[in-house]
Amino acid sequence: MISELSGIEQPPMANGELVFEAPWQGRVFGMARALSEAGLYSWDEFREYLIEAIAGWEREGEGDYAYYDHFLAALESLLADKGVLSPGPLEIRCSEFRHRPHGHDH
Amino acid sequence: MSEHEHPTSQQSIRAEAIESLLIDKGLLTEDAVDEVIVQYNERVGPMNGAKVVARAWKDPAFKTRLLADGTSAIAEFEFSGGEVDKLVVVENTSDVHNVVVCTLCSCYPWAVLGLPPKWYKDPAYRSRIVREPRRVLEEFGVQIAAGKELCVWDSSAEIRYLVLPEPPSDIDSASEEELAARVSRDAMIGVALI
Amino acid sequence: MDGIHDLGGKQGFGRVRREQNEPVFHGRWEAKVFALLRAARTAGALKNTDQFRHAIERIDPIAYLSHGYYGRWLGGLENLLVEAGVLNRQQIDSKALELGADTDWRVAARPVAQPDVVGYESEEPSAIRPLPTEPLFQVGEPVHTRGTGTAGHTRLPAYIRGREGTISAWHGGWVLPDSNAHGRGENPEHLYTVAFSGAELWGEQSEPGVVVRIDLFESYLLKM
Repeated sequence: MISELSGIEQPPMANGELVFEAPWQGRVFGMARALSEAGLYSWDEFREYLIEAIAGWEREGEGDYAYYDHFLAALESLLADKGVLSPGPLEIRCSEFRHRPHGHDH
Repeated sequence: MSEHEHPTSQQSIRAEAIESLLIDKGLLTEDAVDEVIVQYNERVGPMNGAKVVARAWKDPAFKTRLLADGTSAIAEFEFSGGEVDKLVVVENTSDVHNVVVCTLCSCYPWAVLGLPPKWYKDPAYRSRIVREPRRVLEEFGVQIAAGKELCVWDSSAEIRYLVLPEPPSDIDSASEEELAARVSRDAMIGVALI
Repeated sequence: MDGIHDLGGKQGFGRVRREQNEPVFHGRWEAKVFALLRAARTAGALKNTDQFRHAIERIDPIAYLSHGYYGRWLGGLENLLVEAGVLNRQQIDSKALELGADTDWRVAARPVAQPDVVGYESEEPSAIRPLPTEPLFQVGEPVHTRGTGTAGHTRLPAYIRGREGTISAWHGGWVLPDSNAHGRGENPEHLYTVAFSGAELWGEQSEPGVVVRIDLFESYLLKM
């Protein structure tokens, strides 16, 4: 049974369907759930990280509220704490993608 | 070449980097990610309708209210999002199978089913379901017995229609929650059986 | 109008295509179409749903069939925005070209030079309007549907015109789309569900046991 994200942690929806403004948002959402379903963490655990990420922005963040920015931050944080993602390899991979030729299809 | 950095393209790269690392580690597949989104879109919106159906199956008094006045009956659930002026629930029985369309545009019971699937809004379904519904349902994998009435509801005004599918054989032993999980969006449009 | 949108019973479209994996992401531009809808309302270019539906019905027919659901919305919204004088065609065209539009692309919008003006907003969120008059038809009564179409907006599809059916339900008074879409007032009418047999609609070709039930306004119906 899919547990709901409600309240402040609810993802943007329109007429009953998730709204992504860009493909990466969908990927992040899908990843977070797929990893939870695979048993890496419980969905409640992820919610805690998400609530913390949103609270962190409320305390001291800049710019407009962007739900999926917090979602991404929560995922990164949780994966780091689980020992699955380390900053070094992640930065290297980001750098590789930043420097690949234009026209790459996501 | 000068790069104009947008915050969103940074996020995009980051998300992709994380996904690729996780795939490298065998913790994730691309398909698994796609599947989640499809599931969510097909389940969350229609979950409202599924709850209504499951309750109607388990609670005969509710079912009577639902068939008499669908709008008031669904108000008992306090669903948020999506207004409906009037909802009519049509029951599939051993004598009648119901299916819903909007031939003139794409009217759909958003309040209980979320967004309509693409095929519902496309010319093939809209044109054919009123003319050859048995054939279209066969293409969906549904056989309707020749002796059964096949009623097609064309939502030409502001009334919205929801199909109450025939219940499975084990409604007495299953809980309302378990039953709701088995009610598909397609069954509530009338193009699938439970 | 006898537009391309009036698809009930049209033949030749082939199998209903259900993609195994429907596009899992909405393109960014689809989210923008939602935003455009809100903007059109704010700008006063869009006053009611009937007007919007008719604006979509008036787009280029080939675009209607090929641009998809959000493409139809975009065409309809462009019609309304241009007709309300909020934007003009040249502005939109040159901006599109500036952004790299393909000149071969078929533009859906067909704004008219003399558009209707919807000079009022609905006071109610719902389309229900209780009527002081009695309904003309009773449940169970046979009826004929109007045989002719109209140039404007209507919710009487061509496949139902000039047919014999039976009243199966009465729903009280509702805003009349034929009038409301063009700013001629809400002019509510009694609304009925009317049942038609497949044989009546499609003749010998009809599949057995088919009944079409459709919601029709009183002015679409004639006493027998």
